[in-house]
Amino acid sequence: MTAPRFYGEPPPGIASAELPGRLIVIEGTDGVGRSTHVALLKEWLEARGYAVVNTGLRRSSLAGRGIERAKRGNTLDPLTLNLLYATDFWDRMERQILPALRAGMVALVDRYIFSLIARARVRGLSAGWVENLFGFALVPDLVVYLDIDMEHLVPRVLSSTGFDYWESGQDYLPSPDVYRNFVEHQTRLMAEFRRLATQHAFTTVDARGPIPEVFRALCAEIEPVVQSMAMFESMNHEVSDPLKMLA
Amino acid sequence: MAPEPRLGGTAAGRAPVPKPELAEPVTGLPGRLIIVEGIDGSGKSTQLDLLRKWLVNQGYLVIFSEWNSSPIVKSTTRRGKKLQLLSPMSFSLIHAADLASRTYSQIMPALQAGAIVLADRYVYTAYVRDTVRGVNRAWLRRLYSFAVPPTLAFYFDVPLDEAMKRISVGRSELKYYEAGMDLGLSRDPAESFRLFQGLIRREYEQVIGEFGLVRMDATESLVQQQQRMREIVRPHLEGAMRLPNPAAEDPLRVAGLLGHHQAERTGALGPTP
Repeated sequence: MTAPRFYGEPPPGIASAELPGRLIVIEGTDGVGRSTHVALLKEWLEARGYAVVNTGLRRSSLAGRGIERAKRGNTLDPLTLNLLYATDFWDRMERQILPALRAGMVALVDRYIFSLIARARVRGLSAGWVENLFGFALVPDLVVYLDIDMEHLVPRVLSSTGFDYWESGQDYLPSPDVYRNFVEHQTRLMAEFRRLATQHAFTTVDARGPIPEVFRALCAEIEPVVQSMAMFESMNHEVSDPLKMLA
Repeated sequence: MAPEPRLGGTAAGRAPVPKPELAEPVTGLPGRLIIVEGIDGSGKSTQLDLLRKWLVNQGYLVIFSEWNSSPIVKSTTRRGKKLQLLSPMSFSLIHAADLASRTYSQIMPALQAGAIVLADRYVYTAYVRDTVRGVNRAWLRRLYSFAVPPTLAFYFDVPLDEAMKRISVGRSELKYYEAGMDLGLSRDPAESFRLFQGLIRREYEQVIGEFGLVRMDATESLVQQQQRMREIVRPHLEGAMRLPNPAAEDPLRVAGLLGHHQAERTGALGPTP
């Protein structure tokens, strides 16, 4: 249990009382498999008795729909988009993440401020400005970065959603070639993620392998973070190998 | 290992990005940006409207930008206000999104072209309102660094009692955030509004000194205020973009034509038989 720490000045309206829960963030680029693993982890944690709240980008009741609508238009500049995402992020921070942490739950967050920082940076927003903006974010107990390379990412994206307009950086890259833009945009994003991973000491998990392997590695990283919340260590051993969940 | 509790990395650790960076202040644009500030009931909108008419009359190209009017952001703000979803921080962020959107789609392009842009409320409104709601001053100033610094910023100074008298709002007309009900100052909307405006007025005093706003005595008569305002604006107008001559009428007159088609198109002649 620790007093909440923020990256910058503590935002208003947040009491500084200790938060008994755990904030665990899964970061990684588009198509790396974050949502799959968040779903698996939620089930795994709940099976072990931990109450879990999961949340991800654009899921706020305040700004979620507004972002979807804005992205369909054609007069959206990167700064406004970033601020809409910041609004969405803050709303979820206040309504989902903080209440969960106060109640002693595990908040499992699919993408945090780091995805927003990486996206803003590749679109030319000032680093100092972006870092000031997201100073209101709570410092997580654990940030896992799912690391992948282009060789493994491209087939994964092609076999699922295909090359999305925004995930290919079509809004700012000059080429009409979607594949080339996807590779260019994702290469830039990954460079930003790796820079952030070093700066903020993320735990990096190799996401190139098959799902069970990545999942096992994730569980191993998360285990020690949540363990201190439990009364008996034995509770954590009642549940069998997490991989059986995938069968 | 504990994560570094600051977002500001060392310059050496940052990837090189193309310049100029978005969100940093833009100066030296050929247009003029004139803005008005003041508490509700200070008469700032009336004065800005009179200034606009004067400028248009002289043939200047004038663009008007209103607080909270970005079509991209408006639906979210409306939703937040209607359902009372806004906290001090989300209130602050959504208004920053509004100005960002207007800056990049409306204000900056017009200033680049050399036009005169008039804005009813600008960053200072966010500074005073959000500070009163408890948002950090330094954070706010950095947040709004993307905004173009105005050529002239007027503050219409009016005593609280006078402003209250002018609007003489009924309880039912006051909206939740407008009355500052989210601050929990009073359960009575009218009383809350009065207390909220008082706090805002006090914070304006800080902002005026910090950013050099031009203080206008808003208790003077309307015409006196407008004359004073025009005197201050006049020296800043030289070289601002003017509208070319009225588009359609002149070439018609030169060619000795009457402009039937133009009149039909605008409906002046009614439907054609």
